[in-house]
Order: sequence, then C-alpha cells, then structure tokens
Amino acid sequence: MNIRKDQVDDLVLKALQEIDLDDRSIEFSKSTILYGDNGLLESIQLVNFIVDLEKYIEDEFSRSLSIADEKAISQKNSPFRTIETLCNYVYSLLTE
Amino acid sequence: MHIDRLIKNMELISKQEAIIFQDKIYYYKDILNQIEVWEQRLKLHNIEKGKVVSIISDYSPEAISVIIALIRNQNIIVPLSPSTEVQSSDFHNISYTQHIIELLGDHRYQIEKKDSTPANNLILRNLIENKHAGLILFTSGSSGKPKAVVHDFEKLLIKFQHSKKNYRTLCFMLFDHIAGIDSYFYCLFSGGMAIYPVSRNPAAICKLIEKHKVEVLPTSPTFLNLLLISEEYKKYDLSSLEIITFGSERMHSLLLDKIKNVFPGVKLIQKYGVTELGSPPSKTKPEDSTWIKIDSDQFQTRIIDDILYIKTETAMLGYLNAPSPFTADGWYNTGDTVIVDGEYLQIIGRKSEIINVGGEKVYPAEVEEIIQSLSNVDEVVVYGEKNVIMGQIVCAKVTLLEEEDSSQFSKRLKKYCKDKLEPYKIPVKIKITKNKLHNTRFKKIRQPIH
Repeated sequence: MNIRKDQVDDLVLKALQEIDLDDRSIEFSKSTILYGDNGLLESIQLVNFIVDLEKYIEDEFSRSLSIADEKAISQKNSPFRTIETLCNYVYSLLTE
Repeated sequence: MHIDRLIKNMELISKQEAIIFQDKIYYYKDILNQIEVWEQRLKLHNIEKGKVVSIISDYSPEAISVIIALIRNQNIIVPLSPSTEVQSSDFHNISYTQHIIELLGDHRYQIEKKDSTPANNLILRNLIENKHAGLILFTSGSSGKPKAVVHDFEKLLIKFQHSKKNYRTLCFMLFDHIAGIDSYFYCLFSGGMAIYPVSRNPAAICKLIEKHKVEVLPTSPTFLNLLLISEEYKKYDLSSLEIITFGSERMHSLLLDKIKNVFPGVKLIQKYGVTELGSPPSKTKPEDSTWIKIDSDQFQTRIIDDILYIKTETAMLGYLNAPSPFTADGWYNTGDTVIVDGEYLQIIGRKSEIINVGGEKVYPAEVEEIIQSLSNVDEVVVYGEKNVIMGQIVCAKVTLLEEEDSSQFSKRLKKYCKDKLEPYKIPVKIKITKNKLHNTRFKKIRQPIH
C-alpha cells in the first residue's frame, strides 16, 4: 500500500482535534509547537494524543506503530517538537 | 537542639543570599527576621507548644520561616501544598490538626482553630511529652487512602549537621514531600542558596537555571524526559549545572545516556527517598547511575526475596491511621524489588499495583470506582502500561452490559472522568473485552493482557 504524506498529515491533525484543549481556540500550522514553551499540549495530553494517533494509523493503514518509543526518544532532535517534525517522523516510520 | 544550631549558623552568614523567589533575593537575615515575626504571631494567636499545626502553602521564604518558627515552638507540623485542597479536610482530621495556617502570598495569611485531641494518639502523645517538634506527611496507601506518617523533626534534622558543600539549588520537588523538605533543609544547613520555582514546566525551570546560575537540580526521570522532548534546554545557557539528582521512579538507561549527552560533565546522582524513612545519603556507580549505594552508617539494608528492607534510627515513629509496617526487629519493607551488584542496588520496580505516571501515584481502585459508576459498564480493571514519556500510563479494560461502539465509549468514559479525576489518572488506553475480568477467587486481574 502506498502511503501519501498528506494522509499522514491529516491523521495527525485529526488526532490533535480530538484532544480536549480547554477551549483554547488555536489555529494549527505546521510550525505549531506541540510540547515546550508556548506549546499546545500538557505532558499528559501529549501522551493521549500519541496513543490516539497510533490508533488512527492502525485503523487507516492496518499498521501497528509505536510512535513514542525508545527510538523516538533517542533521535537527535525530538520528533514531538512541532506538528511538522511529528508528521515527518510518522511518515518516515510508515515508509521505512 | 539542631534547629537552634541552624539559627546560629544563619546568624553567622546573615548577609549571604539564602533564597531567590519570584526574582527577589532574600538574605539569611531576612529569613531570620521572618522567623521572629512568626514566633510573635504564634504567641499572638495562642498557638502553644505541642499543638498540631497545618500549614497550607507552596514554596516561599515565608513558608520556610513559619516551619522553622513552628519547630522552635515544638509544634507538630503538617505541611500541605495547595494542590491537596480537595482532601485537606480529611487531612486535618486524620492529623489531629488544631490550628491551620494558610499563607495567601504577599505576607497575607489566615489562621483557623479546630477542635482536636492529639493526646488521644499514642505516637503524638509521646512527641508532645518529649517536647520534640514533629512532622506529619501524607503518603498514598495501597488502597488509595492516604496514610499519615509521623516523624520526629529533631531526628530528621540530624543528618544535615554535616551538610557542608553549599550549592545554588533549585527546589524542584514539592513542598510537602520528603524530597522537597530534604532540599530546602539541606540548603539552609549548608549555607547555600535555594531557588524556589513558581511553575515546574521545562521552560520555566530552564529560565531559572540560566538566570540564577543553578548548580544542583533535584528532579525526577519524567521531568528529564519532558525536558528532552521540549528541547527547551537548547534555548538556554545551562552550563552552571553541576549535579542533577533524580528519584521517585525508575530511571531507564536510555534516558540516562541521552541526559549524559545533553549535559556532559554534569554529575548524575540517583536518590532513594521514602516518606517513611527520609532520604538516605546515597552514591551512584560512576559508570552507570541507575545503580545506587545507600551510603550512611545510619541506614542498614537487607534483601529478602528480592525485596529491599531498610532499618534506620531516623525512620518515622509510625502511621496515625494504619498498622505499623515495621518487622518486630525494626526493619521497614520498602516493597521495592531490587537486584544487587556488590554494594550497589538497582531498583527494578514496585511490587504493588500502584501506577506511577511521571512520579504521580495512581491507585487502580480509585479509578475503577469512578468508571464502575458510568452507565453500561459491567466490570472494569485498571492497570499500568509502560510508556516511554511518562514511565507508565493508566489503562482500563472494561466489559459492557450492552454493545457500544468502542471509540464512542472511550470518548464517553474520558468525558465522564474529566471532572472526577486528575488528568493523569484518566485512562489513556481503553479496551472493551468480552472476557471475565476477575479470577476464580474474585480478585481482579490487573496484569495487562496483550
């Protein structure tokens, strides 16, 4: 199955929309910081978001993926920094 | 009295900086002044020797001054962070609190009197009769019901007599936790400087380290993980850091390696703190800080069936609301499974079912009780699953009375829990199953089944 990058981007946004952001009306863009100073998510929200995303990926591509694992943590740059870095990381996991 | 010796030391270094809080410097003389103010206030409000006094506050120079004034007045002190508010009336009752001092910031405070008879409790009566200050801390019990741990404050302070090295320390651990109390008394006894945080997110902590040239950061593996993920460390000059200590949950060697790379030259030390025992001085293996050696004449260790037991003179006097956990010959069962290499130990995990989400303890029973009250739920078990970011996450397995779409049900469950449980206690993963969730002895099967 050929996976397109825009399909991955859509799933990431879909999972983000599911997270209860305390009514913060924030427009997402690729450079939106997920976690960190002025980041979108609290630590526990980040964990929930990743678990949801893994589930969407499994539903969509029938692939069981572990996004937050030791490999992710040992990357030189954190894949969880921005929406874009995460989309790129997930896409690379799906196409490697 | 150790506390009088502390006051004398503080007088000798009265012009030195003691605390930085909200960007303001407080010198040792300022703390001494505040202690005096509070000693007068205790008299004014008839807070007599031997009374049990709760203090509701987060870190502030004033809070520390109140605690020292109370120790000098031989009170039994119950420090409570404002975050414990939900349970605070229970805590006051369990601890036989007679006075509540609430610090509201900007030198405002509120004092309330309560009717209670601590002398009805043998442990407290002994403390009062011996004219020793006491400390009551709350730790979560195995059923999720908090246990009140009573310490003799005089005994707890013994180990600080030899605190010589003075550092600039960021007091990251909470005000009413044993590790927090350890940090702020170490700073005072050693004549060091304590930097009190207002917020504990990675950016705020990095800012404080850079601005105030923090040398020691006592923290937890989860915070270090979040620090790496946020990449905030890249934005600040953290070169003043000399020591990072970590405790309260298991440290993974992978995280440790990454921390070593990001902070080359920083000494990484594992701490082993237990509310019931205090935190013993410890050493870590130079080549691998996941291994720890309890390094004190006052703490003896032994291992039976892979479980660590500790014996120490400075252990708590007992619980106020639970049976004594000590063996007849005075050993405390930590419940921690360990492996041994010579003099060093490695903590493998808790034997119990407690889920440790980033250092916050979650009791399955508490979460199960809430979920059980949700409509269409037949049976529920709550268990922990390994998670690379938070150490563990909370998961729930549920059987339903009638069929329901799984993603709909997950959403409904999370929404239902939102105003009933703290966010870290709400299950992240929810599975619906048709299998029975208890064994033949009607004990819940909490082990995750994959």
